[in-house]
Amino acid sequence: MTMAGKRLLIGFGIAALASGQTAFEQNVGAIVQRNCSMCHNDKLKTGGLVLTKYHDTAAMLQDRAVWEKVVARLRAGEMPPKGMPRPTPEQIASMTGWIEAQFAEQDKSAKLDPGHLTAHRLNRVEYDNTVRDLLAVRFKPANDFPADDSGYGFDNIGDVLSVSPILTEKYLAAAKKIAAEAIPMGSLPKPTRTRYSPEHQFNDEQLSLEHAFDLPAEADYNFRASVSGRKEAFVIRLELDGEAIETANVIIDPNKPRQYEAQLHVPYGEHVFKAILTSRDPTPEEVAAAQRMAAKEQAQIEKQLAAHPEDAAEIRKQHTLASPPTYIDALEIQGPFHPLPPPLPESYRRIFVCGHAPGHHTNECARLDLAHLAKLAYRRPVTDAEVSKLTKLVAMAQASGLSFEQAMRIGVEAILVSPNFLYRIERDPDPTTVHPVSDYELASRLSYFLWSSMPDEELLRLADEHRLCEPDVLRAQVRRMLQNPKSDALVDNFFGQWLELRNLDSVSPDPDQFPEFNNQLRSAMRTETRMFVSSIIHDDRSILDFIDGKYTFLNEKLAKFYGIPGVKGDQFRRVELTGTQRSGVLTQGSVLTVTSYPTRTSPVLRGKWILENVLNAPPPPPPPGVGSIDAQGGVVHGTMRQQMEKHRANPMCAGCHSRMDPLGFALENYNAIGKWRTEDASLPIDASGVLPNGRKFNGSAELKEILAGDRDAFAECLTEKMMIYALGRGLEPYDRPATKKIVADLAVNDYKFSNLILGIVDSVPFQMGRGDGGESK
Amino acid sequence: MIVTGKHISRRTLLRGLGAAVALPVLDAMAPALSKAADVTKKVSPNRMAFVYVPNGIDMRNWTPEALGRTFTLPKILQPLAPVQDDILVLTGLMDHNAMALGDGPGDHARASASFLTGVHPKKTAGSDISVGISVDQVAAQKAGKATRFASLELGCEDGHLAGNCDSGYSCAYVNSISWRTPTVPNPPEVNPRAVFERLFGSDEDGANPAARIRNARLDQSILDAVSDDTRRLEAGLGATDRRKLDEYLTAVREVERQVQMVEKQAAENSLATPNMAKPDGIPLDYAEHAQLMFNLMTLAFQTDLTRISTFMMAREGSTRPYREIGVPEGHHGLSHHRNDPALMDKIAQINTYHMEQFAYFLRKLKNTPDGDGSLLDHTMLVYGSGISDGNRHNHDDLPVLFAGGSRMFRTGRHLRFTESTPVANLYLSMLDAMGVETAQLGDSQGRLNYLSDLT
Repeated sequence: MTMAGKRLLIGFGIAALASGQTAFEQNVGAIVQRNCSMCHNDKLKTGGLVLTKYHDTAAMLQDRAVWEKVVARLRAGEMPPKGMPRPTPEQIASMTGWIEAQFAEQDKSAKLDPGHLTAHRLNRVEYDNTVRDLLAVRFKPANDFPADDSGYGFDNIGDVLSVSPILTEKYLAAAKKIAAEAIPMGSLPKPTRTRYSPEHQFNDEQLSLEHAFDLPAEADYNFRASVSGRKEAFVIRLELDGEAIETANVIIDPNKPRQYEAQLHVPYGEHVFKAILTSRDPTPEEVAAAQRMAAKEQAQIEKQLAAHPEDAAEIRKQHTLASPPTYIDALEIQGPFHPLPPPLPESYRRIFVCGHAPGHHTNECARLDLAHLAKLAYRRPVTDAEVSKLTKLVAMAQASGLSFEQAMRIGVEAILVSPNFLYRIERDPDPTTVHPVSDYELASRLSYFLWSSMPDEELLRLADEHRLCEPDVLRAQVRRMLQNPKSDALVDNFFGQWLELRNLDSVSPDPDQFPEFNNQLRSAMRTETRMFVSSIIHDDRSILDFIDGKYTFLNEKLAKFYGIPGVKGDQFRRVELTGTQRSGVLTQGSVLTVTSYPTRTSPVLRGKWILENVLNAPPPPPPPGVGSIDAQGGVVHGTMRQQMEKHRANPMCAGCHSRMDPLGFALENYNAIGKWRTEDASLPIDASGVLPNGRKFNGSAELKEILAGDRDAFAECLTEKMMIYALGRGLEPYDRPATKKIVADLAVNDYKFSNLILGIVDSVPFQMGRGDGGESK
Repeated sequence: MIVTGKHISRRTLLRGLGAAVALPVLDAMAPALSKAADVTKKVSPNRMAFVYVPNGIDMRNWTPEALGRTFTLPKILQPLAPVQDDILVLTGLMDHNAMALGDGPGDHARASASFLTGVHPKKTAGSDISVGISVDQVAAQKAGKATRFASLELGCEDGHLAGNCDSGYSCAYVNSISWRTPTVPNPPEVNPRAVFERLFGSDEDGANPAARIRNARLDQSILDAVSDDTRRLEAGLGATDRRKLDEYLTAVREVERQVQMVEKQAAENSLATPNMAKPDGIPLDYAEHAQLMFNLMTLAFQTDLTRISTFMMAREGSTRPYREIGVPEGHHGLSHHRNDPALMDKIAQINTYHMEQFAYFLRKLKNTPDGDGSLLDHTMLVYGSGISDGNRHNHDDLPVLFAGGSRMFRTGRHLRFTESTPVANLYLSMLDAMGVETAQLGDSQGRLNYLSDLT
């Protein structure tokens, strides 16, 4: 602190005390009066904020969320805005420090409140994973369910997940399908045609295609691949589980159907069928055929051009689309022919635990089997009454003429549509008190957090023994669960939504402007980010790697797209990024693409993405009556940046956009599909910017340095988002002490990922519960 | 107000009762009417459907200049030329509760949430979504009892996107226009194959009526057990948890009702059969997708599996590009056109493209005979958006089109209403025609005048 500053503070303090002001007015009120009140008074209410109405500490603490924002904006140097008189840095430090001390005091005396988890319907992913782990079914029934609504950025929020009659119909239909697959009736499967044909864009490169088919019985099957496009000469090789089963020439011929097949006797189960095209030199006959085809097409084009000269561009485009480069269009399997009886599926073994051979079950088995299954499905011990209800259903089904095994299907169906299965419901022994959740509830909280699925037998066993709640046991379980492949659910569901990666499936960059963007590139981008996130989880790396980790995972296609040499082949591998234009997730193709419009980049979207997902400072939506500052996908003239700056001249918008836009500008060197560029609209890219606190940067690397420097903001952001996901509810003020503690622990543990997960699992909101009546609002 | 017999065709009324006397429609009358009609021809039930388009409309190319019967169709409405006598262009209606009313931005979410409910949605991204019951569900609660499915919710765009949906509003508000209760949306089904299987059963159901009756009875027992489980669970739970489980209980009852109806129809050998092949899945082509969904809706009305439906051409705020008609920009982005005529023309292009699909639907209904006329004569349709101009986000002067229902209302006209007439007034009139008289829906202020020459 400078001497001048100190003197000022001291003098100020004495004056305040002398006039008998409250502690609030001494430490906060005076500065508010001097530096904030010209805008944030009850007349102007700039930004919807009135600060002049606070006169004592109690009032401030009552509106804690408001004052937390005040502290954040002051610290970041965003307020007071440029050009307005500002308090000295020392005054700001002293004021924000005092406010936070009051918060800490409040937290100390606050009543412990872990919140209540509302009865939580399994969402689509959770449903699929749960039936997979319960009964080893080999399909995803929830593909047919309506989409789940999301809240707070995630689709696993108990309060938001509702049930409509259509979903209930689908639950019943899915239960029947699952029960039928789990308890097959011994009839031999009939031959069918199963086709795999991914959506194909004209610019996709599909010279090989593979798919895992699930074959219902040991039998003869036809394996067929069909090829589209007929201009080039290839050799096609069909492979089953890595072994060649057929090789043939793909001949240039205008008429011949391009289908290639092999017949084979194959055992029951999953098999990978693959077709690969390799180019070869055409024969003289083929060259001639190709010339004839080209001449014919040319003649057609000229005829059309003569008739409609004004549509020249469109006509040429249509012809390009009509005769695409060769690719593998579809894989198809026909069969089974002459099937042998299939073995009993794994699911059958899981249901009939009484141990008799098929067809020799006794009626007593129903009770034993259903009690076992219901305990797993309801994720807790079941009562005799609950089991009796199920056995009664089975007996009734038998009475109506069904065999024992057929009737057992009815029992399984009843379990799968029971609210005990479909909902995670936590019981409160005494709704008025705060209490640790039961071991079974803890097991479900853990497994749905880390696996998006039901607890496995080990977790349930520990719950039976009432040991899961022991801290060491719990920690060991978390580490075990993170190493299990089921923890990929965390990548797909938490990170997929936090990074908005799921939207990558639905973005559709304009193919005229971005012909490079095809489904192979889309899928490579997805794989890169998934593997990057996975490596942070499994190698227990620092969460700061999300911002500027100097490595990633690439295959040849994506490496070429990024301009990174030396990566060959389709396999993804770890690649060092030091010395490249990329690091962390912000400059991965996936994130850059989902934060763009189909035809161009959007600094606003990218800036907003960083504020929301990295800095934990989501901008407020634009004030009513003000249009969107960004043309939002419309056509623009000049560089994007010039457009934006013009719009930012509007003072109504400048406040927030001066926070948002510079962040986005830093990424302007990456186009709407994340490719490096140095020009936009033939003008050089200017990726420099100034943050509201005056910090300057040029380009993404310098921005990331600034972001990585503000570790706690990012740690807090990630902690809060993951806490929302882990609990399946929005955060409330009473959760603050828990998140703060996790952030503090991360800071002293090198920000290691496992500390984040363990911190959440150890926290009061995760370990405890209360009734839903006593909300402390 | 005296409600006239407009929920049945006038001709039937004349034939069956001898004279077109204005009588109040009472439940007790229904058997008498159907008996009377049996003598001549089966009475066609009245149906209603609502088709929603997002992001507003280029109103320059929507509103006809002339009022009354002789108006020229502007560009966007031109696909309706073959059915111009079957439409009513309703200009000047308003969705007051889509306005901010102190809640700040979020016009898209409010537009879709309030369009059929007339209620201002609660601004929340999460835990406590709340709006009102939508008009289709008011009808479904009563008129829906007669059919296997109380209502059918369809759409062309799936709702699972990551991130916040609109300025702090839950995605539920933009994904659904149909609200079963103020807190439970009815999400639309987007996969034509799933719709088909829902309506007509999947292959494994089998065609044997005895097996279907037995299956229906077993389903019944399972659902009984589920209801019982749910009620037991509810004991000892707090209010929020009970509300969640009540949702399930209510939904289970609705499915029970469907199962009973299947059992009854199987016994009578009157289960509906489709006259189309089972669709494979979602077609890549938008027009093909929309038309397939409209075909299914037609089929559901024709076979009387339902009488009430909603359809979302896309979710509100949709960012879908329409490259097949030369619009590579996302729809929502484009709708912020800043009055740039080139961008507005592209919006008009999308609007026209959507209208072409709706026109296909109207022609299809018109070509499907039903009772003493066509299916179109007995189906009241509303096509519109809760946003007028996508750039201004205004919710007055809405694009609202009524179509079909010529036995209920006098179509073939362009009407202009005084400013700030709630669009919900139209719904009250339609509910009357469905035989579901309702005093109030959202912000309604009475029935909409001039729809019929009987009022």
